[in-house]
Amino acid sequence: MDFSVITNNLSYFLLGAWPHGPLGGAALTLVLSVCSALASGVLGLVFGVALAMTHGAAHQALVLFLGFFRAIPVLMLIFWTYFLLPIVFGFNVPGVGTVIVALSLIGGSYLAHSVYAGIRSLPPGQWQAAAALGLGRVQALRYVILPQALPIMLPSFLNQWIALIKDSSLAYVIGVGELSFVATQVSNREMVYPTEIFLFVALLYFLICSSLELGAGAIARRYGTAAKPT
Amino acid sequence: MIKKFRLAAVIALSALAGVAHADRLDDIQKTGVLRVAAFDSNPPFGFVDPQSKQISGLDVDYAKELAAKLGVKLELVPTNPANRIPLLAANKVDIVLANFTITEERAKQVNFSIPYFASGQQFIAKKGVLKSADQLGSLRIGVDKGTTNEIVLREKYPTATLVAYDDTPFAFTALRNGNVQAITQDGPKLIGLLANVPDKQNYEIPPFSISDDLIGAGLPKGETRLTEYVNDFLRELEASGKAQQIYDRWFGPDTKTPLTRIFRIGDK
Repeated sequence: MDFSVITNNLSYFLLGAWPHGPLGGAALTLVLSVCSALASGVLGLVFGVALAMTHGAAHQALVLFLGFFRAIPVLMLIFWTYFLLPIVFGFNVPGVGTVIVALSLIGGSYLAHSVYAGIRSLPPGQWQAAAALGLGRVQALRYVILPQALPIMLPSFLNQWIALIKDSSLAYVIGVGELSFVATQVSNREMVYPTEIFLFVALLYFLICSSLELGAGAIARRYGTAAKPT
Repeated sequence: MIKKFRLAAVIALSALAGVAHADRLDDIQKTGVLRVAAFDSNPPFGFVDPQSKQISGLDVDYAKELAAKLGVKLELVPTNPANRIPLLAANKVDIVLANFTITEERAKQVNFSIPYFASGQQFIAKKGVLKSADQLGSLRIGVDKGTTNEIVLREKYPTATLVAYDDTPFAFTALRNGNVQAITQDGPKLIGLLANVPDKQNYEIPPFSISDDLIGAGLPKGETRLTEYVNDFLRELEASGKAQQIYDRWFGPDTKTPLTRIFRIGDK
């Protein structure tokens, strides 16, 4: 094992060609992950609440819509958005935007069902008690249901966000220079150090994912919610 | 899988794309940016330079000269072999300079410039394994997805077992690990690859080739003015001696990959 290949290319692994070119490497992985985590969180919350508050045809339509995004592979969505939208609609989405949109839509669809399940997990008595106090459905949701349901959902959000960080590596298919893409470029040039390079890449993903987990645990403890450190 | 989707995307939808909106040459001059797809993993045609961290190589030098002639900024988009036609079809780039072999099949989907490089399809194998082309039918051979090498090999040696990889370095890793017995690509690309392998004495490029390929710039289908512009640019580059300079920088006698220049722009 010769880890000088890592130290020699460290800034390329971490930042890509930046500042003399676009940001890449682990930094771009972080940017992609943070943007899609936030967007998928918002989408998941909105769609999950919508699932809980709708009935009949509207509910079915929403289930179908979310089902579509849960059923297609992230890789396909990225590929089609990048190459197909410009050809069919003359509508050009840049690579980084494509990846964020794809990860957010798919992550959001998964999270919507977690949010829905979290809301449904509360006994119906909670809704009835809120109604007895004179709260409307939206008020009941905001002041009674969500404050109890959100902490229950935290592990699901965390799972989804960790999966999303790792899925950002699929950006390689359209040439977005995130961590695994630049690592492949270096590996292809250096030829004989794939073990060292991809061990290092695995370590970086592990560090990013674990910090998210530890950070979420710390926040949960601080605000005294249900998720306890294990 | 991906490759099939890519081909389907291109074939089914390039028809919908239509040909004539604005002229691409005007667009390039108006926006002041020339977007070029270049290889990022294939020295010496296109690779990430360890010092500058920018994509460099023979194809990139042509791209730089073209941008200079146009008086616009150069924007390089990294590509692998299979993404070259989709990038053009989806208007993600204006020109592909990535060791792009001119074929009739591809010419249905893209415009080609006059050739600026020539090569033949060759092989790398562990020393002593591959002596002559007759053996190819009985070997497991690594190819790059979306290349003409794959098609030629299937046609000429239908009994060979082909394993397709995303890019040449992956195929070479498979050769190193014994998953395949040989890999195939254009000769100059293999020479460029082998030059960067620390234990290159264990491998060889047997001295035969199974095709003659001409390499050109790929341009969006129907962009006649841009194509003519690039053709004139290439002829000027040869006349001024710059084409020779670029060649010598990557394949000259003092480089890691010395190779006699057998083709000049305008020969064909």
